[in-house]
Amino acid sequence: MTKQEPAASPAAHAIDLHKTYGSGPAAVHALAGITVTFERGHFTAVMGPSGSGKSTLMHCMAGLDRATSGKTYVGEQDINALDDTGLTQLRRDRVGFVFQSFNLVPTLTAGENITLPVDLAGKSVDREWFDYLVEHLGIRDRLSHRPTELSGGQQQRVACARALINKPDLIFADEPTGNLDSNASTEMLGFLQRSTRELGQSIVMVTHDPHGAAYADRVVFLADGTIVGELKQPTADKVLERMRTLGT
Amino acid sequence: MWRITLKGLLAHKLRLTLTALAIVLGVTFISGTFVLTDTLHNTFSNLIGNIYAKVDLQARGVAQFNHTSIGDTATRNPIPQSLMTTIRNVPGVEAVAGDVTGYAQFVSPEGKAISGGGGSIGLSYDPNQSLSALHLVSGTAPTGPDDVVMDAGTAKKYDFAVGQPVKILLAGPTRTFTITGIVKFGTADNVAGTSIAAFALPTAQQVFQEPGRLDAINILTRSGADTATVQRAIQATVPTGVQVVTGKTVADEQTDSINQALGIFSTALLVFAFISLFVGAFTIFNTFSIIVGQRTRELALLRIVGASRRQVFRSVLGEAALVGLVSSIIGLGVGVLAAFGLEGLLRAFGITLPASSLVFHARTAVVGLAVGVGVTVVAAISPARRAVRISPIDAISQHQTGLEISNRRRLTIGGVLGLIGVILLAVGMAVSQLPLVGIGAVAVFLGVAMLAPTFARPVASFIGRPLARWFGMPGRIGRENSMRSPRRTAQTASALMIGLALVSAISVFGASLTKSVTSAVDQAVSADLIISDFGDNAPGISNSIEPLVSQISGVEDTNVVYDGNVEIGDSLKDVTAISPEHLSETVLVRMDSGNAASISHGDLLIDANTADSKNLAVGDTLDVKFAKTGVVGMRVGGVYKPNALLGSYVVSDKFFLAHFDQALPVAVLATTDGDRQQAVTDALVAYPNVEVQTRDEFQKTQKDAVAKLLGLIYALLALAVIIALIGIINTLMLSVFERTREIGLLRAVGMTRRQIRGMVRAESVILALFGAVVGIIIGTGLGLALVSSIDAQELSEISVPIPQLIIFLVLAALLGLFAATFPARRAARLDVLDAIATD
Repeated sequence: MTKQEPAASPAAHAIDLHKTYGSGPAAVHALAGITVTFERGHFTAVMGPSGSGKSTLMHCMAGLDRATSGKTYVGEQDINALDDTGLTQLRRDRVGFVFQSFNLVPTLTAGENITLPVDLAGKSVDREWFDYLVEHLGIRDRLSHRPTELSGGQQQRVACARALINKPDLIFADEPTGNLDSNASTEMLGFLQRSTRELGQSIVMVTHDPHGAAYADRVVFLADGTIVGELKQPTADKVLERMRTLGT
Repeated sequence: MWRITLKGLLAHKLRLTLTALAIVLGVTFISGTFVLTDTLHNTFSNLIGNIYAKVDLQARGVAQFNHTSIGDTATRNPIPQSLMTTIRNVPGVEAVAGDVTGYAQFVSPEGKAISGGGGSIGLSYDPNQSLSALHLVSGTAPTGPDDVVMDAGTAKKYDFAVGQPVKILLAGPTRTFTITGIVKFGTADNVAGTSIAAFALPTAQQVFQEPGRLDAINILTRSGADTATVQRAIQATVPTGVQVVTGKTVADEQTDSINQALGIFSTALLVFAFISLFVGAFTIFNTFSIIVGQRTRELALLRIVGASRRQVFRSVLGEAALVGLVSSIIGLGVGVLAAFGLEGLLRAFGITLPASSLVFHARTAVVGLAVGVGVTVVAAISPARRAVRISPIDAISQHQTGLEISNRRRLTIGGVLGLIGVILLAVGMAVSQLPLVGIGAVAVFLGVAMLAPTFARPVASFIGRPLARWFGMPGRIGRENSMRSPRRTAQTASALMIGLALVSAISVFGASLTKSVTSAVDQAVSADLIISDFGDNAPGISNSIEPLVSQISGVEDTNVVYDGNVEIGDSLKDVTAISPEHLSETVLVRMDSGNAASISHGDLLIDANTADSKNLAVGDTLDVKFAKTGVVGMRVGGVYKPNALLGSYVVSDKFFLAHFDQALPVAVLATTDGDRQQAVTDALVAYPNVEVQTRDEFQKTQKDAVAKLLGLIYALLALAVIIALIGIINTLMLSVFERTREIGLLRAVGMTRRQIRGMVRAESVILALFGAVVGIIIGTGLGLALVSSIDAQELSEISVPIPQLIIFLVLAALLGLFAATFPARRAARLDVLDAIATD
């Protein structure tokens, strides 16, 4: 597979996004006017200290949570305009997710977890693609196992395969290596990087690990609900340095 | 999505097993009831069909009343025997047989009255085998005045043989007959446990009827003759008042009357099946609520990867439907087994049913499955709706968001439901519409269950206070646990609340009934001795008893009580007859107006309630229709205060005997100088079917009958309480599962296994007591409402059995303790490290 031509529209973008919890003097501004674009075919890392709003940003942009004001688009689609059914379809067909933990349905096998979005859509699984994914993720011999019988790294790879099974426009990864040891982290990040470079997959990853962020094409820094900086072609050292200057 | 449902189901096998049990029990009840009543229905239809299988036509008196009491056939007058010759001469008639039936009960060699379990019947034996349903298996047909043939069932059981003498209780004096033969009924030894004594026709007429009179004439048509033509021909020859019908019509009428009785029986059982399922529904609702709560993250994850709301909703309901289906199928199977068991039980009571296998109609399966699945799915709707409200974000966020329906909405719905329930109850009771009362009770229970979470916390806290003191720390934590999820506590306790509400209502009802019965005897009878039958299906006692008793030295005055049906204003009424002589010595009649003695000149006495409702006063005339004599305009000679013995209408014994055929006394009353019970009993040794009781004993018998009925109802309600208990066990199991980490922590900081068990038990007892307290309060209210709404003489007093209600409370606490056994053990066995490591 070769890298896709950059399309006209970005994978996702947000314009002047606000998210406020509570009201009056007690209001907490989790997002205080964020405008950001995630390019198609890019691996973008979102960094920031706890409470900086990075998870909230991700939730709002993925349609998991509604922003208080502002616009968010996945591709051309204005997701504020979608009702619950529309959001469900968006999540199922156009967005993939990988979380820090509790990624898999405990009652289903690894294989069933991977094909879950396809099954939910009532479509048939693209076997070739499925085989390609499990081969590259090295989980072929784990497919009939339940999540509890898998290591943390294996679980995360299964979650990755599930996120990719529908060839989504965009994958949101929320601290995907947060619960993994360093070997498993390296493998996981390497895989995410490869899927961008080799398959042209667009990925947004929320993380607070500078080493993890170094795998991305671009790092966006967040603090107190606003974007405070950006770094292209990051390395771990540059990220660390930037974070230090941001005082985080 | 189905795969997820299935997998989820398999993963939650244990927690769903207990839920399923509730449905299994309910459906078992339904299918068992159906199978049993269908089988009984089938058996009786076959039996009755067999009796009239050979009878083509029957001539009989026309029905006298427009209505029959339930389970009874119409009242008809006898027809003259001379009609036999008339009918025999109608072209197309092959043979005729006179039919006379009446009361005849064998006495065992030990001197006991034989009651086969199905009662006793005497008939005329028809030697013509082409018409008779009975056939001799040994000996000869009865011919002489002292001959009798006996059914093989009685002969076998009591070791009677051809040639032996046997005593037989009759309407007149007890007589000894010689057994000339043993008969079978088709292939059966007897008819559903009823003992049969068959006599030659003249003998039967003499003991049951008057000579020259018959109850009916059975007719066999010549082969090749058209039955309808013959029927018309016979009808043309017989006088008015006699009708000719087909054998099938007679069989159908009798089957119908049995079906009516069976219908009441099965409805009663189905009501209890419904109660069980209703309680079960609470358990299911609760289990699914908890499961949905525990699976919040999983369901949210499904939503994230693209499950629609509809898919989540269907998944939860699908799970419920599947649980319902599997448990209903099991319930159906167990129900059939239960029916087998019941049939065996009947056999043990001597009711042998002729060879017929259990009847399983498609309806049994359809209703069982529909109700089982329906109840489960309906109970799961609310939890499923809650599951739908789970937002995808719940999978990743730590805090759980707005899963509870707003308090105010629930309060409103609960309050409205409760109010509607109370109104329906009140209306239902006022117009005596039981279905309305039932719906009202259901609404009240639902309403209270919805309101219960609002007061669960303070009540649980109050109940838990002494527990916390006695059990120390574990008790305190148990109490806290019961208070921290008032909704769950309330839902779990609701099932038990319903069970105990019903038990308490019945107990108030029973106590009132017992008290009424006691005071009824006190206020109705002044005689020292009451002689009546044992209540084994006999139509009454011999009319030779009163003359016998009156001659015993020490017996001062006697009186005979009869009762029978008459028709007044198009409805069937009970009329009581009593002799005006010695009336005041034996019966307490307190007159409001008029004179009791007026019955001696053919007047009618009515009680004050009837006088009020029919607007009658002394001197008015009331049309009373007697089967034998037709309509008689009777003058109201007096109005008396309600009296349990006398009922609503009273005539004199002489009047009664002149207007009724085959009249048998129901009781003989006697006043004595001192204790003559033994003397009277000794004098009546030839009548083992009667019982000589003092007033106190009579009272006790009545009370025992009430107690027996109550015992039966309690036993049936026990099922509902058991299901409620299963609900408590289930909730505790789920709570223990949910709090694995917490329990691990408690263990880690030094709580002993015993203390863990104590904690779970304390919570369980609080749950049980909460349900019990609310249930007993509601139940007492229901019971009081029920008692005060029933305007019957049998229920004139109101009584709240407080000691009994306290016993229920204590029992509920013990049951709670018992319910905690398994969950407590499970909690105590949790490995500390595992518990803390659980994700």
